[in-house]
Amino acid sequence: MKIAITGIGIISAIGNDQRQTVDALLHEQTGVWTMHYLHSNHTELPVGEVKMSNDELLQKLNISSLEAISRTALLGLHASREALQQAKITDVSEMAFISGTTVGGMDTTERFWSDWQKNKNLNYVSQHEAGATTQTIAQHIGSFAYLMTPSTACSSALNAMIMGANLLRAGKVKKALVGGTESLTCFHLNGFHSLMILDKDLCRPFDKDRAGLNLGEGAAYVVLESEQEALARGATILGYVAGYANACDAFHQTASSEEGEGAFLAMQQALQMAKIEPQAVDYINAHGTGTANNDASESRAIKRLFGEQLPAISSTKAFTGHTTSASGAIETAICLLCMQKGFVPVNLHYQQGDENVIKPVQKTQFRPLQTVLCNSFGFGGNDSALVLSQKGVDFADKITDVTLQEYVCVVEDLDDYKGYIPPMVARRMTPQTRKMMVAMKKVVQESGIEPAKIEAIFCATRLGNIEQTVAFLEAMLNENEQNLPPTPFMNSTHNTVASQVAIELKNHHYNITYSDGEKSLQSALLDMKTQLELGLIQNALVLEFDTCEPKFDGMLQKVGQNSQNIAKAYIYCKK
Amino acid sequence: MEELIKTLKQQIIEALNLEGLTVDDIDTDAPLFGEGLGLDSIDALELIVLLDKHYGIKFTDAKTGKAVFQSVRAIAEYVQAHRTK
Repeated sequence: MKIAITGIGIISAIGNDQRQTVDALLHEQTGVWTMHYLHSNHTELPVGEVKMSNDELLQKLNISSLEAISRTALLGLHASREALQQAKITDVSEMAFISGTTVGGMDTTERFWSDWQKNKNLNYVSQHEAGATTQTIAQHIGSFAYLMTPSTACSSALNAMIMGANLLRAGKVKKALVGGTESLTCFHLNGFHSLMILDKDLCRPFDKDRAGLNLGEGAAYVVLESEQEALARGATILGYVAGYANACDAFHQTASSEEGEGAFLAMQQALQMAKIEPQAVDYINAHGTGTANNDASESRAIKRLFGEQLPAISSTKAFTGHTTSASGAIETAICLLCMQKGFVPVNLHYQQGDENVIKPVQKTQFRPLQTVLCNSFGFGGNDSALVLSQKGVDFADKITDVTLQEYVCVVEDLDDYKGYIPPMVARRMTPQTRKMMVAMKKVVQESGIEPAKIEAIFCATRLGNIEQTVAFLEAMLNENEQNLPPTPFMNSTHNTVASQVAIELKNHHYNITYSDGEKSLQSALLDMKTQLELGLIQNALVLEFDTCEPKFDGMLQKVGQNSQNIAKAYIYCKK
Repeated sequence: MEELIKTLKQQIIEALNLEGLTVDDIDTDAPLFGEGLGLDSIDALELIVLLDKHYGIKFTDAKTGKAVFQSVRAIAEYVQAHRTK
């Protein structure tokens, strides 16, 4: 089976659709400007905003303004519709919808947080969680076979593509709409600001004087289906998914390792799957955020894999800003558009070379592109790479039924974590995370599998470390967006737990987190089962994690929902 | 100066959640990052927040901060010279 792409949808700071995106790239025009739509005190920070207000988006999408809907969902719906329209798909019943996001409904949560305590605007409460964004978009499209929400910070959307490709190969669906969406919020703008990685000027990826990133927003999706299915229904094939991989740096929660191990492994494995040598790559769309750390680490990883003969490389984040959870899809869409039109986009604002980093493309190059590599890396060293090509690769998969051995460990009370977690590591963990770590260590020990040989880590969480989210949100609102501590922000990301586990286990394998409300575990297990059946993995560690935070739980209860504490770890291995 | 060093140690223990450590456990002249106490880049950012909150000292980038945070004594000397509150 070859995996064909038959539809593209994209909305970002440089345009509301494919045509506008290509125009901006060719005219070398950035979409990163002075803040206009986001209501933050940090107006000194340039941002890549989609040039439409929520009201304009509602009107364009023909949605009633009375409906509780986040900007994240609006952007996602806009891009989804474009992709489905191009693919000429109206019936989605045999299709999976996999949409990465981390912010979810945070844009409305931060606006209504104080209202909620006064029992106002409560209809937005259930929109907060990441999975609600996917559900809301789906409600406006149709009834999909599967809804899944990977939430691994900035690599979320590329991980959605990987999941979609695996589902197709395993024959679980006929088509998949895959990508991601993220709107700008004061929450993550202040979070990145607390990490001191936002540039007050326009970002300059790979430049000697690079001083951080500019945040952006947007959404992008592509339609995946087998080549056979596409040809049979007369769809136009826009390109192929030829290879992909996710690997874990297992180094630090926010920083990348000097050697870029996770990035190196992801790129290497993606090329191996595509059955190509590094020399066959015509262009790399780098993660290239513009931070000192990312660009140096990614350069090191690229040089390790490609040697001295580097292909054309550019980061398009100086055009769009860093669209975080959507970036993997936005940049995949950009790569596909560049392959269709035959050009390599420029790395905007690059002026001075840095001997430790790669030298990106300084002028738009017009030439045919056969094979393109797209990188997308997230916090926790969650590193993904995707190979797109004009010809595709035949995935001759044998699907086998699997019988599994299961080991389970639940930790409800925390008594003796000190024997399991070193104090310097434990100090940043919430009590619930500590329980999770103990459960994980106990179950790994019981299974007898060597920690580094666990072939994949799957985490299911509905609200993540919600107490850390609430702590950062309240500090932000109370302190007027000034002088905020980075630790609760870092811990608020859904994939924090799975990445801390990978760091503890020194495990560089596949690492994913799903946030699909009550169906989070179902998503994680579907991913695991698919990979086991395809023979991609032989064993797995599954983490079920959630926290009940009194204030947030109180609000959920007002709308007839609730949250709970869970710290449960499973090991599965083939019998 | 000795009083300031003691206060700083207390504030560092609290801000970085160094559970189980007391003021006496932190060597005034030992390096805080890498070897020594073993702090990392996130701790450097937390120290920047701490110095702003308690002493009104503002850093514009993480690099400058880390250069100051050689040891508790180095921080104390910097605070004495630059504090605005």
